[in-house]
Amino acid sequence: MTTQNIPKIMKQGSWVPWLYLLPALIVMSFFIVYPMINTISLSFGNKDGTAPASTTCVEGKPCWGIFEDYRYALTAELNFSSAGALWDSFWKSSFGNNLKWIILMTAGTVGIGLAYAVLADRVKYEALAKAILFMPMAISFVGAGIIWKFVYDYGTKQVQIGLLNSIITSFGGKPVSWLSTPGLNTLMLILVGVWIWTGFCMTILSAALKSVPEDILEAARVDGATEWSTFWKVTVPIIMPTILVVITTMVINVLKLFDIVYVMTGGNFSTNVIANRMYTEMYKNFNVGRGTAIAVVLVLAIIPFIYFNIRRFLEQEAIR
Amino acid sequence: MNRKSMVWSLTSLFTLVAILLSACGSAATATQAPATQAPATQPPAATEAPATQAPAGTEAPATQAPATGGIDCMGAQQGDEISMLYQWSGTEEDNLNKILAPLVEACGIVLKPESSRDQALLDTRVKAGTPPDIAFYNIAQLVQYQDKLKDMNDLGINADNYLDSWKQIGTVNGKWVGLPVKTDTKTIIWYSPANFQSAGYEVPKTWDDLNALVEKMVADGKVPWSMGFESGDATGWTGTDWIQDILLVTKGPDYVNGIMDGSIPYNDAAVKEAYQTYGKWATDPKYTVGGAQGTVSTAFLDAIYKPFADPPEAMMVKQSGFAAGAIAAQFPDLKYGTDYAFFMMPGAQGIQIGADWMMAFSDKPAVKALVAYLSSDAGGKKWAEVGFDLTPNKAGTDSYTDPAAKDKAKLLGDAAAVLADLGDKIPGGFGSAEFKAISDYINGGDLDKDLSDVAAAQAQALGK
Amino acid sequence: MNRDQINKFFSRIPTHVIVIVTMIIWIVPTLGLLITSLRPVQAINTTGWWTAFSTPPGAAAYQQYCSTCHGTDGKKLPNADLTNPAVVSQVGRSTQLLAVLQKPIDDQPHTGNTSLPTPQEAATIAVYLRGLAGGATAARFTLSNYVDALVGYRGRSSYASDCSSHTQALDLQCNISDVLNPRGMGRAFINSLLVTIPATILPILFAAFAGYAFAWLDFKGRFLLFAVLVGLQVVPLQMTLVPISRIYAQLGLNGTFLGVWLFHTGFGLPYAIYLMRNFLGSLPSDLFEAAYIDGASHWTVFRSLVIPLAMPAIASLGIFQFLWVWNDLLVALVFLGGTTPVMTYQISNMVTSLGAGWQLLTAAAFLSMVLPMVVFFSLQRYFVRGMLAGAVKG
Repeated sequence: MTTQNIPKIMKQGSWVPWLYLLPALIVMSFFIVYPMINTISLSFGNKDGTAPASTTCVEGKPCWGIFEDYRYALTAELNFSSAGALWDSFWKSSFGNNLKWIILMTAGTVGIGLAYAVLADRVKYEALAKAILFMPMAISFVGAGIIWKFVYDYGTKQVQIGLLNSIITSFGGKPVSWLSTPGLNTLMLILVGVWIWTGFCMTILSAALKSVPEDILEAARVDGATEWSTFWKVTVPIIMPTILVVITTMVINVLKLFDIVYVMTGGNFSTNVIANRMYTEMYKNFNVGRGTAIAVVLVLAIIPFIYFNIRRFLEQEAIR
Repeated sequence: MNRKSMVWSLTSLFTLVAILLSACGSAATATQAPATQAPATQPPAATEAPATQAPAGTEAPATQAPATGGIDCMGAQQGDEISMLYQWSGTEEDNLNKILAPLVEACGIVLKPESSRDQALLDTRVKAGTPPDIAFYNIAQLVQYQDKLKDMNDLGINADNYLDSWKQIGTVNGKWVGLPVKTDTKTIIWYSPANFQSAGYEVPKTWDDLNALVEKMVADGKVPWSMGFESGDATGWTGTDWIQDILLVTKGPDYVNGIMDGSIPYNDAAVKEAYQTYGKWATDPKYTVGGAQGTVSTAFLDAIYKPFADPPEAMMVKQSGFAAGAIAAQFPDLKYGTDYAFFMMPGAQGIQIGADWMMAFSDKPAVKALVAYLSSDAGGKKWAEVGFDLTPNKAGTDSYTDPAAKDKAKLLGDAAAVLADLGDKIPGGFGSAEFKAISDYINGGDLDKDLSDVAAAQAQALGK
Repeated sequence: MNRDQINKFFSRIPTHVIVIVTMIIWIVPTLGLLITSLRPVQAINTTGWWTAFSTPPGAAAYQQYCSTCHGTDGKKLPNADLTNPAVVSQVGRSTQLLAVLQKPIDDQPHTGNTSLPTPQEAATIAVYLRGLAGGATAARFTLSNYVDALVGYRGRSSYASDCSSHTQALDLQCNISDVLNPRGMGRAFINSLLVTIPATILPILFAAFAGYAFAWLDFKGRFLLFAVLVGLQVVPLQMTLVPISRIYAQLGLNGTFLGVWLFHTGFGLPYAIYLMRNFLGSLPSDLFEAAYIDGASHWTVFRSLVIPLAMPAIASLGIFQFLWVWNDLLVALVFLGGTTPVMTYQISNMVTSLGAGWQLLTAAAFLSMVLPMVVFFSLQRYFVRGMLAGAVKG
């Protein structure tokens, strides 16, 4: 980072910045940093934190000593008997599922959110259009769970309250069990996630779009650029930082996502995700060591994205 | 600019007022009074001693004049608070309030209840050192928090009103920590007598009769069974109930107890056979509505309705006693006895039950009064009258007002043996492993692998 | 209309089509819930919500099989008057009706040349006949789910029927004051407001300051601190419950509103600062340079330049923080307790532990959604274009 180009505004003395930061730092240290340190220390212990994790090793089985809880967190769902079995078990495991969630849900919500924000910007009924996409976020998950029950229900010949199966059977097809067919069910759950979270991405991207200076766009149009190329060559670069923020936030939300899976399938039929595993270990199996180890794995999973953010941060500052 | 600064000032003013309000509010609503503050509000220990050392009959002289109806307040003062935590809500909470009303009236105890099905709440409270005074939960919580729970014997309980088997289940490592307050029978099959009559079927008396009846129904073109696993994160619990009931028929209560204490591993041959017997019915659309997909994706409440719909989609559904309430809610025109009734699973050598357990984290007088009341004759009778499922309290046996409850109570009373649900009794990850195994197997998974996963969880949970 | 206007019109059509189709796809599931919330529970469990508007199948089946002989009003045959309850009560179920239809009349098949109805059709005809005979038929739509949700009804039928038969619960008076009863929505609404408003304002306040520091102030360790900040967003809620509860117990903050506000603030800050930093950082630096050169103090710049320009970001943050705190259940339950109920708590308590009464959730979901939508609409005016236009030149 070049030190010569720091604008004057940024040099306000060495203690002034801390004045601005202190309230936030104090609150965050207390509410997040301290519990996180507590979590990390518990992840090296046994199921109730009374002894180190190495004491839970079982004779004749692999053991990672103090990292025993991490061994469980990382390998319990995997089948190491052969490369093929490992590949299959990975994609059925919570890690494979979370990967699918991250890729598909982030692409879906950010892509649809951006496109919709741009299009809604041009119609007179913009407020209504945005409100309709936002509404699923306003309905707490209690309502959303019921809503999607009425979409995915399997039903019988006599009683059919699921919308999708009703459409299929009215065309003469056989009903599909959307939530218990491995593979398909994760996609259906991701669909629910996209339905809920697109409004979030759309709102933030819409705010960013509004702050693109109108004169720059006019200049591009006057120069003869089409709407499409104006969008890609002018608008997107300007709002790229916000797009990155939205992507990072969505990845974080996906990693923490737990409601949808918990309520609709309980993690059964190969739909399990990391956050649900953490909940199960903590409150069903009462195993604090393993639960906290899974939580730490979750936090570590965000590191690649932190790297991208810092790089972007540096690039942005360099061009000031 | 003026408008902006006005907005900021108003919001800061509001925030300030709200902070002040909360400070006053918190003084008034001392909801989380930690157990350690209890002694301050107690009368001197001397007056309590006689009550706790009273013989098993709770009619020992109390320090205060017994209140109306013979309810012993055990030294509780007017306005003493009890914080409670339970999973019940809606109508269930209403029923509990009706049952506790005489106690509240007689002793002036103030109840501060909280209701949540999120396991995180009780666990957080206990671990943070601020447990509720009383919790109504499952056996898993009895085992998990045994160190923090008080012994029932120290709380003025009337032990005579409970069968030994209840005391045994509620005792963890020699300490009697759980009082069963509500129970429901699981080993029963619901059917429509009207439909049976018009089709010429008879209630089967033996396991072979049941098999023959099922085959006859299939031959007549009817679907015998309605099954539904789906219930969010507990998906599969109806299936595990089935397996345990089949084991009660084929092997008997001693075998099931063997699984419970770990001497019989879950992947034993008899368990595998039980799964296969169940699987034969649950995966075939001729035997169960919707076949495997139907079993696995139907919500358990929806599965209860099927034999009683018009026209019926199935002939029988195996489900706990609460099904009576569900049927009545969905089909208000139907009558118990003629349109819906149950028979015990033929051939079962014992009854599987589900129960809710009361556990006490504190021993202050108000808690003692509550324990004493619920375990007393008055408490048992009231529970049965209100009809909040069945009560294990023997005093309530003749006080049921609901005909379905009467029949269920009779079944329970006549049972050769009473067993807890395997998934409730074995701590740790066993319960969820069992649910996963049956769901996976019915959905087409490998039975041996599923059973060995559960056996591993069983071994881990029981420390073997 | 000249060519330009026509071109413009047609070029707009794809936009409109895409937006409207997306709107329809998005709203259909919610529409299903809305219609469901207006139906009685027996209907919800047996037929799809899209059938709520079509005529009940019984009427069509009756027309097909019975109306030629019995007439559309059922009175055509005097010795088989279908409006007579005594006659109809004998064919209450499909099996009984089919049994009657299978018996010949005067050696002729009952239904003449048409075949017998299927069991399902017979069942719907039986229901229709019950209606003809003046028996109570289930209403197609009802407001009872909403009324029951508002008063926190816990009984076995509905608030309206309990009140009309005077069997209501002891703490209900069957008048408007029931909305404020301990299990109703009235008090819970106020509690939810008391929790949400400060828990939205505080994080925004702290985040505005901190975001500005990260974006425009130079200090040692800013990158490391920022990296940690991004990572803090991932920490799961459940990990913080026990340590914070313990400390709160010692400080006496358990069960207080202040405790909940601080928790929500702490937990919402990483994301809030992240968003604010991004937005503030994208403002052109010439703006600040100009102000600084003009001799403005840092605080003046912050107050009169940064905050107004950041209104879209503050508005987004406001909407979402409000939403998350409003819809939160676990934090309120753990730190505030169930004895000071918030709306989400009342709603979760409407169903029994076995899920009975879940139809009330359909109505409750909408009741709870009203305020967040109001907040969304009222903050829309901050999403305006051109806030920066002319700012640099000015």
